Amino acid sequence: MTEFEQGAGTSVAHRAPDVLVEASAPAPVPPRRPRLTTSDHVRSVSSRYALLGVWAIMAAVYGGVMPGKFLQVSTLQTVFGSQSSLLLLALAALCTFVVGEFDLSFASVMGLSATIVPVLSSLHHVSIALSCAIALGACIGCGCLNALFVVGLGVPSLIVTLGSASLFLGISELISASNTISVTSKSFSDLALNNVVGLPLSFYYGLGLCLAFAYVITWTPVGRHIVFVGANREVARLAGIPVNLIRAGSYIAAATVAGLAGILLVASVGGFDPTGASTYLLPALAAVFLGTAMVTPGQFNPMGTFFGIYFLETGILGLQLLGGTGWVQDAFYGAGLVIAVTVATLVRRRTSHA
Amino acid sequence: MAVTPRLEVRGLSKTFGTTTVLHGAEMTVLPGEVHGLAGQNGSGKSTVIKLLTGVHRPDSGAEYYVDGAPMRLPVRWPEVHAAGVSVVHQDLGLLDALTVAENICVGGFPTVFGRINRRRRDALAERTLARLGVAIDPTVPVETLTAAQRAEVAIARAMRDQTDGRGVIILDESTRALTGEDLERVHAMLRRLAAAGSSAVVISHNLGELMSVTDRITILRDGYVVGRGLATVDLDEPEIARRMLGGTVDTVTPRYDAQPSPAERDEVMTVSGLAGDGLENVSFGVGRGEVLGIIGVPGGGYEHLPYLLSGARRARAGVLRTPTGALELSRSSIVSCIRLGVVLVPERRDRDGLAFELTVRDNISLLALRRRGRPWFVGRRWQDDEAELAADRLDIRPRTPSLLVKQLSGGNQQKVLLAKWLHLGPTVMILHEPTQAVDVGARQDILRALQSAADSGVAVVIVSSEAEDLSAVCDRILMHTHGGELRQAETGTATPLLEQVYAYTESASRSAA
Repeated sequence: MTEFEQGAGTSVAHRAPDVLVEASAPAPVPPRRPRLTTSDHVRSVSSRYALLGVWAIMAAVYGGVMPGKFLQVSTLQTVFGSQSSLLLLALAALCTFVVGEFDLSFASVMGLSATIVPVLSSLHHVSIALSCAIALGACIGCGCLNALFVVGLGVPSLIVTLGSASLFLGISELISASNTISVTSKSFSDLALNNVVGLPLSFYYGLGLCLAFAYVITWTPVGRHIVFVGANREVARLAGIPVNLIRAGSYIAAATVAGLAGILLVASVGGFDPTGASTYLLPALAAVFLGTAMVTPGQFNPMGTFFGIYFLETGILGLQLLGGTGWVQDAFYGAGLVIAVTVATLVRRRTSHA
Repeated sequence: MAVTPRLEVRGLSKTFGTTTVLHGAEMTVLPGEVHGLAGQNGSGKSTVIKLLTGVHRPDSGAEYYVDGAPMRLPVRWPEVHAAGVSVVHQDLGLLDALTVAENICVGGFPTVFGRINRRRRDALAERTLARLGVAIDPTVPVETLTAAQRAEVAIARAMRDQTDGRGVIILDESTRALTGEDLERVHAMLRRLAAAGSSAVVISHNLGELMSVTDRITILRDGYVVGRGLATVDLDEPEIARRMLGGTVDTVTPRYDAQPSPAERDEVMTVSGLAGDGLENVSFGVGRGEVLGIIGVPGGGYEHLPYLLSGARRARAGVLRTPTGALELSRSSIVSCIRLGVVLVPERRDRDGLAFELTVRDNISLLALRRRGRPWFVGRRWQDDEAELAADRLDIRPRTPSLLVKQLSGGNQQKVLLAKWLHLGPTVMILHEPTQAVDVGARQDILRALQSAADSGVAVVIVSSEAEDLSAVCDRILMHTHGGELRQAETGTATPLLEQVYAYTESASRSAA
C-alpha cells in the first residue's frame, strides 16, 4: 500500500542482514505467521485467566465448608444480580483509567444522579424519563467540570477530582435536604429488576456495556487511539492523535456512565442516601485494578473489571454466609484492592519475561 | 607503577539481556591527574559511569579499586563515596530556589542535636568554595548565578567531604552548557584541584575540551577500550576522533559521491526562514529519494530541527513546502505535517517513539488505523500482515507481531519505530538520532532500511551527531553553524566531517569570546 513495498515477501527467516537491499526481487511466498507453540498458549492462557481459577477455588472452598448455604441457585443470583450498579460504576472509573487519567469523583457523580431522579420525580412531580434525562445532563456537566480543570487548566487530577467529589456530594445533600427520598414506580423498577433467565435485567445492562466497552477498545480506531494515549501520551501525540480531546472525553464519559449507574441504582433500590456514595468508591476501584490481572494482563480492561466485580462479591458473600457482618465488606474490599494490585504487578512482570 | 592509582577498574563488562554493551573495560586514574573519557554516543561511556556509581550492576569478573582499596561489587554508592569518589551529573542537580550553601551542603548538613546549624552550614560552604579557589557568596540563591558559577557550585558539592589532595571527581558531561571563558574558568579550577593532588575524570563530547584540560585520555568504541590512558600531549583531535570512530564501517555503500546538483534534485520539501528554539533563519531543501544528513555540535540547537519541522513543536517563524502544499510553521501541528507527507521519527523511542507495554503489531499499525479501519471496526488481519511485512523488510527479530515492544532489543525496537512511520508512506521522513544506543548490526540494518526507503522515493532527513553514520548513508550533509546557517560539509568521510564540525564551532566560539 505504500511506495515502500519492495523487499516485501522475502522471507528467509535468518538471512544475512546484507541481503536486505538486494532482496527486492519479488518472490511471492505465502504469508507465514510464526505459530505460537502449545506451551506458549498454555502459559499465556494460564496467566491471563489465573484469577478465574482462584475464583473457582474460592467457590469450591465455600461450597465445601457450607454446602447447604452456599451451593444454592439463590447464591448465584445474589452474586450476579446485586452488583449491576457497582459494575457500571467500575466501568465509569475504567473510562478514565484506560487513558491514563485518574478520577475519584465518579462515586459522588453517581450519588448526584441517584439523588436528582427521586427528588425530581417524587418531590417535584417531574416524569421519570425527564428526571433521568436531567440527572444525566447534570452528570455530564460534572464530567465537563473535571475535564475543564484537569485537561484545560492542567491542575493535577488527584486534587481536582478529590475536591469535585466532595462538591458533588454537597450538592446532592443540598437538593435532597439530606433525606433519603424514594421513588415508587413499578414500571421504572421493572426496567432494572425484571427477571430474565433467573437474573434481573440490570445484570444484562452491565454485561452489555462491558462488551460494548471491550469492543470499542479493541476493534475501533478510536479505541486503539485511547489505548495509546493510556500507554504513552507523547507517542500518541506524535502520531497526530488528539490527546487532550480524548482525555477530556474520558472524564465526560466517566461521569455519564456514573450517572447511568445512579439511575440503575434508584431503579433497583428505590431510593438513595447521598452520603452513602463514598462507600461505592473503593469496591469499584478494587474491581478495576483486579481486572488488570486478567484477560489482557497489565492493562485496564472491561472484561477484567467484569470478572473482578463478581470475584469480590463472591468472596464477600461467602464470608457473610460464614457469619461475618458489616466489617467483612470493608476488610475484603480494602485487602482486595491491595492484593489485586500486587497480583496485577506480578502477572505483568511475568508477561514481560514470557 | 609505583604510585597507587586513585581509581582503578579492570574487567568491567555489562550485558543487557543478550547485548553486551561494555567488554572488559579498564581505566586507571592517577592521583593529581585530570583524566578524559572519550567515545561516541553508545560507545559505553555512560555505562562505565553508571557501573562506577552503582546505577547498574556489572557482569561478574570486574574489579574496582579506590586508592588501592577494593570496592565491593555491585557498587554500594555510600561505600564508594566514602572512599572518595563523587560525581557531577550532566544537569548539575542544583535546586535553583535554594542558596549556594544549601545546595553545597545537601546530603551532609552540619547539625546540632538534629537541627541544621545555619552558621556552620554557611561556614562549611564557604570553606569548600575557598578551598577550590572560588569566590561565590554562599547565601545567594543559585538561580542568580552564571552558568560557570553553577558548575563550580556543583563541583564544590561533590568535593565537600574530600580532604585536600584526595578524592576523585567524575564530571559526566557537566561542562556541556559552557563555552569560551566560562569553560576556561571551570578548567582552571579542575587544574587547581589536580595540582593539589585530587583527581578528576572528565567525560565530554568536546574533543577540544579534552585536549585542553586532560593529562591522559581513555577512549571507548562500541563497548571496547581502544585507547587506554593515552597521554594527551601525544594526541591531537583527529587522532582521538579516529580512535573513537574506528575504521569506517563499510557494509553500507557510501552514497556521498553520487550527489546531484541542486538543479537536478527533485525537491519535495523546502524549508525557509525557520526560527525558534535557538535556531535562526534556517533554510534548506531535500530531494525525492535523497538522504540528507544534518549535523552540528550537541547543544547548538540543531537537535530541535526534527521537532520543529514535523509539527511536534511550533516554530516562531518559517514556511514548510511540499508538493501537497505549504504550511506556516508557527501554526503547525502533527496532523497538518502528516497531511503534507512529513513525518517524524523521534529520538527517545522509550519516551516519544513507541508504547513499550503494547505489542509490535499495535505500534506499527497505530498510524494507519484511521485510514485502514472503519470508524466502527478495525480488523486484526491486515495489522498482523503489515507487522510481518515490516519484520521481513527491516529484519525485525523475533518476527512475532503479538510480542510486547519492551521484549525486543534496542536495535529491533528502533526498527519497529522505523516501520511504524514507513508504513504511512511518507514523502519526507525526518529522523532524530536513529542509530542512538543500538548495536552495530542493528545500526547497519537501520541505515540500509533508510537507504532503501530513499531508493523507493522517500526523502530522508537524518538529524544526528553520529558523523560516522551520516557519512555512511547520506547523499549530502549539512553542518549547522552558529549563525544558524546550514553549510554543506565539504567531504563525506567521518573523521574530517567531525573535525569540520568541531573546527567550525571552535573558531566561532573564539570569535564570539
